[in-house]
Amino acid sequence: MSRFMHIGRGLYGIWLREVMRAVRDRGQLIGGVSRPLIWLLILGIGLNPYFRGEVYGEVRFVIPYTYLQFLFPAVIVLNIMYTSIQFAVSVIWDREFGFLRAILISPVPRWIILLGKILGGSTVATGHGALVLILARFADITLSWDQVALALLLMFGLSFGLTSFGVILAARVRSFEGFGVFSNTIILPLYFCSSSIFPLDPSLTRAQTVALYPEWLVFLVEINPITYAVDALRGVLINFHQFDPRLGPMVIGGMTVVFFLSALFDFRRR
Amino acid sequence: MGTESANGIEITNLSHAFAGRTVLSNIDMSVPDGSSVALLGPNGAGKTTLMNILCALLTPDSGRVMLGEMDLARQPDAVRRKIGAVFQDPSLDTRLSAWENLDFHGLIYGLSRRERKRRAAEVLELVELDAWRDEIVRTFSGGMKRRLEIARALMHQPSILFLDEPTTGLDPQSRARIWSYLEGLRASDNLTQVITTHYVEEVEDHDYIYIIDQGRLIASGTPHELKSRHGTSMIRCLPRDATTEEELMAAYPEAMPLADGRIGITLGAGDMLDAFLGRFGARLRQIQIDEPSLATVFLALTGREIDQRTPGAPKKAAGVQ
Ligand SMILES: Nc1ncnc2c1ncn2[C@@H]1O[C@H](COP(=O)(O)OP(=O)(O)OP(=O)(O)O)[C@@H](O)[C@H]1O
Ligand SMILES: [Mg+2]
Repeated sequence: MSRFMHIGRGLYGIWLREVMRAVRDRGQLIGGVSRPLIWLLILGIGLNPYFRGEVYGEVRFVIPYTYLQFLFPAVIVLNIMYTSIQFAVSVIWDREFGFLRAILISPVPRWIILLGKILGGSTVATGHGALVLILARFADITLSWDQVALALLLMFGLSFGLTSFGVILAARVRSFEGFGVFSNTIILPLYFCSSSIFPLDPSLTRAQTVALYPEWLVFLVEINPITYAVDALRGVLINFHQFDPRLGPMVIGGMTVVFFLSALFDFRRR
Repeated sequence: MGTESANGIEITNLSHAFAGRTVLSNIDMSVPDGSSVALLGPNGAGKTTLMNILCALLTPDSGRVMLGEMDLARQPDAVRRKIGAVFQDPSLDTRLSAWENLDFHGLIYGLSRRERKRRAAEVLELVELDAWRDEIVRTFSGGMKRRLEIARALMHQPSILFLDEPTTGLDPQSRARIWSYLEGLRASDNLTQVITTHYVEEVEDHDYIYIIDQGRLIASGTPHELKSRHGTSMIRCLPRDATTEEELMAAYPEAMPLADGRIGITLGAGDMLDAFLGRFGARLRQIQIDEPSLATVFLALTGREIDQRTPGAPKKAAGVQ
């Protein structure tokens, strides 16, 4: 019992430090607010008229939503991706500035240290995703509380998986500078290939889709796990799925487990 | 159940190598409960490696470490509650306040909110930082950071404290303060202390000294024992020209070349000093005669000076801003 309390306090302490750090980090907060504004205000409003474009009187896409509504869940995912993967910087910081040693000599078990850090990072990333949710009204999306709760749950799962992924990256990167370049080359391609800003029309057959888009692009979208996270959030927020609705939660669940376990494996070995 | 050894340390035949290169070989050490032991050695001697092993951060290749009745290899978790450490490199979170750093440390050691409050106030008072409790650590001076690190290591009331070069890079005033806190703790809390340093002048007040060089223990004893056993008076001089140097080396075959072209000569008994001065006195640029001290002990044992800077001058902190 007392051992349980001790470990609980350790977990809480490690979690709390991550959250405190993030709340005080102006730069990160500004990024978290400005990113969705730019994507929704500029890209979203800008492309809105073209989305359900009728080409020569023929309606191409049968998605009964505006582009802003379509894009909205993806921007949540984008904000979560940035914050989660950026979390690796906190891990590198601890390692390079020796703070990790001060934690490692304490009686807190290693897996609790890792879990605390990742839970902290996921909380922050979910928070940044929730910042986007505040803009829902503006994208013409009305949400009930249970939709919000379900969305937050999915967002937290995604954050946990991606934060763990950030930790795995951190173990392989030596410097902060190296990491900055690295993260940008990972985040944006994953985002663009997740059917976030353009739909693969589910009403078309695969043959038709491939006729519309080159096969390699369809392939990239379909193997990208982020695609299914975006799809899951679309399901909850605007009730629209491009894929089997069961895939989203499964992929998110799979990512959390696989990435956390590999992060743990890395951390144990060091 | 010897209460005598409850918080003592016994190291037996400890060896460690990094990538095939031996860094510690066959170390035997014993630190009695409540005593303060200094590990003295030059850069690269293996002091930090030994500290890391004692803190269970590094598993040694071979050998045994007992802390009290606990075997470090078998019960690392029980050992961790008992020990506190101040690392050679700073390890505070500079973005948090002094209080928050201490509170975090209390949490990871499982202290309740009330205990954390009480202890944080106590240790801040001990290191005279109570007025800075809510300041962000980034704004602290090097000495203040070090004091806060000592405070942090004491938060969970360890019975053994490891300090790896706690005073390196600090001004004499900060160094004196730190030593006075540590001395106080030994008297009031019976805290066992293991300290590494390469400031020879700082180890005189410790109960026992181990001198370590290139991963080997080369001597140990109380400061008094070491000086009476190995200590000799020394002449350190800088010859005026090359001919003087040659002549000097010929006259004293056991003379040791030191850094910057200086030469060290062990002073024997009798009128050796008079003879030396009579012959070479006028042909030296500099001369210094050292009374037996731990610096001359090290020089006599290894033929090298422990720290090749002028005594008392601050050394640059190793690679850390
Ligand atoms: N992780 C490591 N991998 C490889 N070699 C290492 C590692 N850590 C230390 N060494 C080597 O082991 C030797 C002893 O290093 P250590 O840091 O223990 O010395 P030290 O006595 O603490 O020196 P200093 O006074 O400079 O702090 C050095 O030669 C160092 O290069
Ligand atoms: Mg060292």
